[in-house]
Amino acid sequence: MSNNYFNTLPLREQLAELGKCRFMHLAEFTDGVDALKGKKIVVIGCGAQGLNQGLNLRDSGLDVSYTLRSAAIEQKRQSWKNATENGFTVGTYEELLPTADVVLNLTPDKQHTPVVNAIMPLLKHGACLSYSHGFNIVEEGMQIRDDITVIMVAPKCPGSEVRAEYVRGFGVPTLIAVHEDNDPNGDGLALAKAYAVGTGGHKAGVLMSSFIAEVKSDLMGEQTILCGMLQTGSLLCFDKMIEEGIDPGYASKLIQYGWETTTEALKYGGVTNMLDRLSNPAKIRAFDLAEQMKDIMRPLYKKHQDDIMNGTFSKTMMADWANDDAELLGWRADTAETAFEKTAAADVEISEQEYFDNGILMVAMVKAGVELAFETMTAAGIIADSAYYESLHETPLIANTVARKKLYEMNATISDTAEYGCYLYNHACVPLLGDFMKDIRSDVIGKGLDLDDTGVDNARLIEVNEAIRNHPVEQIGGVLRGYMADMKQII
Amino acid sequence: MINQDAICLDALSVDFDGRFQLSDVRWAIQPGEHWLIAGANGSGKSALAAVLAGDGECLSGTRSGLPDRVALVSYERQAELIEAERRKDDADILDVISQGTPVAEIIDAVCQDHELAQTLVDTLGLRPLMGRAFRKLSTGETRKVMLIRALSSRPDLLVLDEPFDGLDHESLMWLQDHLGVLAKTVPMVIVLNRFDECPEFITHIAYVDHGHLLHQVKRDDERAFAELYQLLHLKTSELEVPMADPAARLPALNSSDPLVRFTGASIRYGDNTVFENLDWTIEANQHWQLSGPNGSGKTCLLSLITGDHPQCYVNDIMVFGFQRGSGESIWQIKQYIGYVSTALQWEYRVGTGLRNVIISGFFDSIGLYSKSTEMQKAIADQWLALLGMTARADEPFNGLSYGDQRLLLIARAMVKHPPLLILDEPCLGLDDMNRQLVLALIERICMSSETTVLYVNHRAEDHIHGIDNHLTLSASSV
Repeated sequence: MSNNYFNTLPLREQLAELGKCRFMHLAEFTDGVDALKGKKIVVIGCGAQGLNQGLNLRDSGLDVSYTLRSAAIEQKRQSWKNATENGFTVGTYEELLPTADVVLNLTPDKQHTPVVNAIMPLLKHGACLSYSHGFNIVEEGMQIRDDITVIMVAPKCPGSEVRAEYVRGFGVPTLIAVHEDNDPNGDGLALAKAYAVGTGGHKAGVLMSSFIAEVKSDLMGEQTILCGMLQTGSLLCFDKMIEEGIDPGYASKLIQYGWETTTEALKYGGVTNMLDRLSNPAKIRAFDLAEQMKDIMRPLYKKHQDDIMNGTFSKTMMADWANDDAELLGWRADTAETAFEKTAAADVEISEQEYFDNGILMVAMVKAGVELAFETMTAAGIIADSAYYESLHETPLIANTVARKKLYEMNATISDTAEYGCYLYNHACVPLLGDFMKDIRSDVIGKGLDLDDTGVDNARLIEVNEAIRNHPVEQIGGVLRGYMADMKQII
Repeated sequence: MINQDAICLDALSVDFDGRFQLSDVRWAIQPGEHWLIAGANGSGKSALAAVLAGDGECLSGTRSGLPDRVALVSYERQAELIEAERRKDDADILDVISQGTPVAEIIDAVCQDHELAQTLVDTLGLRPLMGRAFRKLSTGETRKVMLIRALSSRPDLLVLDEPFDGLDHESLMWLQDHLGVLAKTVPMVIVLNRFDECPEFITHIAYVDHGHLLHQVKRDDERAFAELYQLLHLKTSELEVPMADPAARLPALNSSDPLVRFTGASIRYGDNTVFENLDWTIEANQHWQLSGPNGSGKTCLLSLITGDHPQCYVNDIMVFGFQRGSGESIWQIKQYIGYVSTALQWEYRVGTGLRNVIISGFFDSIGLYSKSTEMQKAIADQWLALLGMTARADEPFNGLSYGDQRLLLIARAMVKHPPLLILDEPCLGLDDMNRQLVLALIERICMSSETTVLYVNHRAEDHIHGIDNHLTLSASSV
């Protein structure tokens, strides 16, 4: 096993890399796909990201083909079918890679090391190797041949969305980076930009980041607020509602669609807007609950960030890889057996506003998770822009997956790496919130506040509003959503 | 007094001197109902009204419950009366100058309510003309005489074909008031070209098209009423397709190239072949209809043209001068195509306002992600006017009825005046009224633009005039 690349860097460079993140303007993409025009692009892997990115690149006028392991081709596996039915040329590594100008590695994290070791001798001199996640380079310390340019283009959405948005004439927010150690011709950025244009990402906003910032922030976000908090919150809220005598079908529906509905408000106007959807007394309750949970969970968020930074997390997960994913598969099976997963949503009408009114605790959990993840990331040296995208921005996207088919769908959609981290978080967070949950009643989850008088104290309301609005995630969110709104005039 | 029997036309087909036929009319007018007959010019409105007065030769079916005294005011009746007056003029034979029948006599001939007749004569300003020969009157004056005859005849049923046409403002106001009062005791059927003039007392609307009574709508069914209004608007107004955006001209096509050329095209999924070896060329200004059973690959074929089918890259396809797979981008292709289908409508689940949905056609996007120009906004507004949706420009698209969404998507497809307009079963899932709305709009487009239309449809009644070329896909191969 190679060394953790991040840990080999001096602190000065670690901080510099973590702090890289810049929102790029549309005007920086006027060259379109020119840097990739006429080049032979070969995609390794034909799963959801591989296929959909390839479809977009080809529709942008680029030359795309797929390479799969010979076994996948001989046995006509799903990846082979995906590629051939869509009219792509498919060949073995030996057939396609020696003439490839740009190679897109879109296999799962776990396969990166064997895949990259297998292809490296085949790559032609001066070729470009692209990743959509930096784990292999940063956490596993993969060394790439000096003559090869290494870039990252990471659409911040599931593969199906990457395609769907392109077809609509838009794109998904995309993060790009150049691995400084592997940019021999100095054209890494031009290639990454052209690639982002080819997938439509430039229309939705491109963040220029670094491999390190991407990995350390991505891991943190997905483990904590994005997947971990939604999983823990779903299980705790459901069990509490059953305990409080709420109809199980209603409880199941309130949670399954509640995350999506409440975080839709987050997408449009941040934590402020999400809390503004509550009545004044409910807002104050949500605020107080979130403050309590933040105090309780803060050490857990710090632990996750620390484990990510010092490589403990990746080491633990890679040990499970080596053990045939025993932990991951076990946890996945456990999740499928939870009461929330097994209780079907009832066919009852829940209005959009009711999801807020009866889901005060869920709103509080999202607020606590978003703010804690953001605070912890920025305290660890990750720049606010990155921290915003990996916390608040992505929460509605993940919430959509829960709405589709609950936690099963969420965990099936996210990467194995995210799923592993999500379970780690969940196992720690459920007991951590145990005492807190003892005092929770159905007024904040399931039924809503039953107040005759919705009056509040002015001073208290002002204090709460100020605290919500002045949180740093709201400040950067306002700026970044402003950029997004410029690009996406109408959603 | 109110006639207590329903008037019933049952499967009635009527011929009018071989010039026009009404076919298979099924219509019941219940006591207390007042009907408006609407439709485009030449659709058979007047014929239907005349049938109530007993006109026309019954070919089949029955008419029952018609009252004894039906007063009909129409251009035809007016013309007949004038013609009859002319025939009385036997000056040729007698060598004397015939004066013709004076107006007073014409009115008296059918008058049952003398007092009312005199009031009407004064109100409509005919007093000075009472002694003049009827056939010497102007058209507007004769029309007034006809109205006085009808109103003062104490009819059991009053049928008025375009009663407001050619009346001066004052007479018009008076007549409308008077009809409002009369409606309390006399059932009425009124033919009107302009829907806006529909009197308050009307309870039902009958819509006629090509000699068929196609729709019967209750006045208080707001949705159906609004749709009918739109349909009439499309059928009866002088519409012009709004111009393209002069600032965003498409790159010119080589006029000698076909728009589309397939050479031996096939689509396969695994071992399953949808179609194979298809050769097909679409020349500019050659409208095509594409038909075939479900699953024969119609939509697949279209998506090879639009580039939405991934196998367009493994076929020999030339579109708008681009050999597919030669490094062109899909947006270079799409800029030449306007596209409407049910699938697009499903995709287009956005809360975008109507104006912006139309503008998105300039960018071939679902939703609008680019800044639009003032010109583009103005053109979008012209389309909204054409659709009769001006007042709803800022309503969200997903709040529209299914049929209105379809109309709007056709406008979106046409807004850039694409060289090729692809309509994939544009009437699918629409009710009868909305189908006709959509067909009316498409016919307008076929008539008045340079766009080549490719129309997928398998319902014979949804045929569009002007589409002469046919490609039929069979279940397994072409």
